[in-house]
Amino acid sequence: MMILSYLLILLMIIGALAAVLFENLLNSIISLGLISLIAAALMFILKAPDVAMTEAIIGAGLTTSIFIFTLIKINRGDSQ
Amino acid sequence: MRFRDYLSLFLVIILGFIIFQAFDGTIDNGLNIKQFGEVNLSERTSIHYINKDVNNESTQIIYNESKNPESGSANYVTSIIANYRALDTLGEITVLFIAAAGLAFVLGDHNKNNAFASDASFIVKIGVKILFPLLFLLGIYIIIHGHLTPGGGFQGGAVIATAILLKFLAYKDYKLNHTGLTILESFAGISFLIIGLIGLYTDGSFLTNFLANGTIGTLFSAGVIPIIYILIGIKVGAELSGIISNLINA
Amino acid sequence: MILLTTLGYIMIILGSLFLLLGALGIVRMPDLYNRIQAGTKATTLGALSSIIGVGLVNPNWFFKTLIIAIFIVLTNPIGSHSIARSSYKSGLKPELQSEIDEYKPENIQDERSDLR
Repeated sequence: MMILSYLLILLMIIGALAAVLFENLLNSIISLGLISLIAAALMFILKAPDVAMTEAIIGAGLTTSIFIFTLIKINRGDSQ
Repeated sequence: MRFRDYLSLFLVIILGFIIFQAFDGTIDNGLNIKQFGEVNLSERTSIHYINKDVNNESTQIIYNESKNPESGSANYVTSIIANYRALDTLGEITVLFIAAAGLAFVLGDHNKNNAFASDASFIVKIGVKILFPLLFLLGIYIIIHGHLTPGGGFQGGAVIATAILLKFLAYKDYKLNHTGLTILESFAGISFLIIGLIGLYTDGSFLTNFLANGTIGTLFSAGVIPIIYILIGIKVGAELSGIISNLINA
Repeated sequence: MILLTTLGYIMIILGSLFLLLGALGIVRMPDLYNRIQAGTKATTLGALSSIIGVGLVNPNWFFKTLIIAIFIVLTNPIGSHSIARSSYKSGLKPELQSEIDEYKPENIQDERSDLR
């Protein structure tokens, strides 16, 4: 289980770096969602299922979609 | 100014007076917050929680058999969120409400169109038609079983909000009834406060668990905790759905 | 009981095999449409059988795993369909040029269809 946690933490770091380094904002948002998903898995390993559920739903689902809607709005404002 | 404005001004003045009384140490009338070391603990609300004793109960709590344990919820995270630290939860819900209200204040124009130019495809529409009731039911299940299994009001409310989000993704012209959302939200918040005040009246402390706890692990147990969690679920679901609707229709 | 447990473990191993094949397909396939083919079909079957296998190993969880399986069956194809459709609409061409393109707007006869 320790190895799995270390792997997940490594993936999280890679996702965070990707979120910063991507030129395209959509890719950054998707890697943010990936970070939240891995964080949910980590919290489940650390025996906090309540927090894991919250993180999976809000972090990976709602926040990602809200960011994407904001991005759609911003792009539409640019083109007009 | 209308009557409503005068009423709100009056309420704000009363609230300000109470806050001034609470933080001003010059007038000693029992209402104010005392300095460190001068507090008589037996007058405070927290004495009810400090004096709560786990050891007087049976030391072995057996699932589905023990009756009336200290806090009757099988999921102890829930008993902390909705019983011991219920005041903090009230604050969290208020924070969420303020966030939703601010978003609605900035973006709350419901006459504009959806963010998407076209409808989703046929497959997505049919899938959403099947998935929406299932997801809604899952959210209600998570809310109702908050005191037994992981999850609860916040998680279940967020699941309900994602179900609404799916509707928005599939149908271009989908609109939420914001009046209904407001009524649900206000009902949940006011009921939360009323339950807290009933606890203050019967047991002497705000948001205390004044109902019988029942057998641990059954659906009708843990006294007031499932009721509070259902109200939290309604409120969070309504607020997050309102946030999503405001963002998409802005 | 032993039969159920053995069946469950066999299903878990089969499911992991399919997941492995799906991952291999995602690496090996040339373009997005082929990758999504491998990724969706193999992954759906793999996740399905491993989850049902867990339910068979621990029969108390069987109905919950069944519900999760139903959710996966419903959501996974819809998600990959949306990805493929949006990538077609944003103009991604297949790697291997094929003659037939039934999803071109002029090839769709039915006016009232929602496919557009």
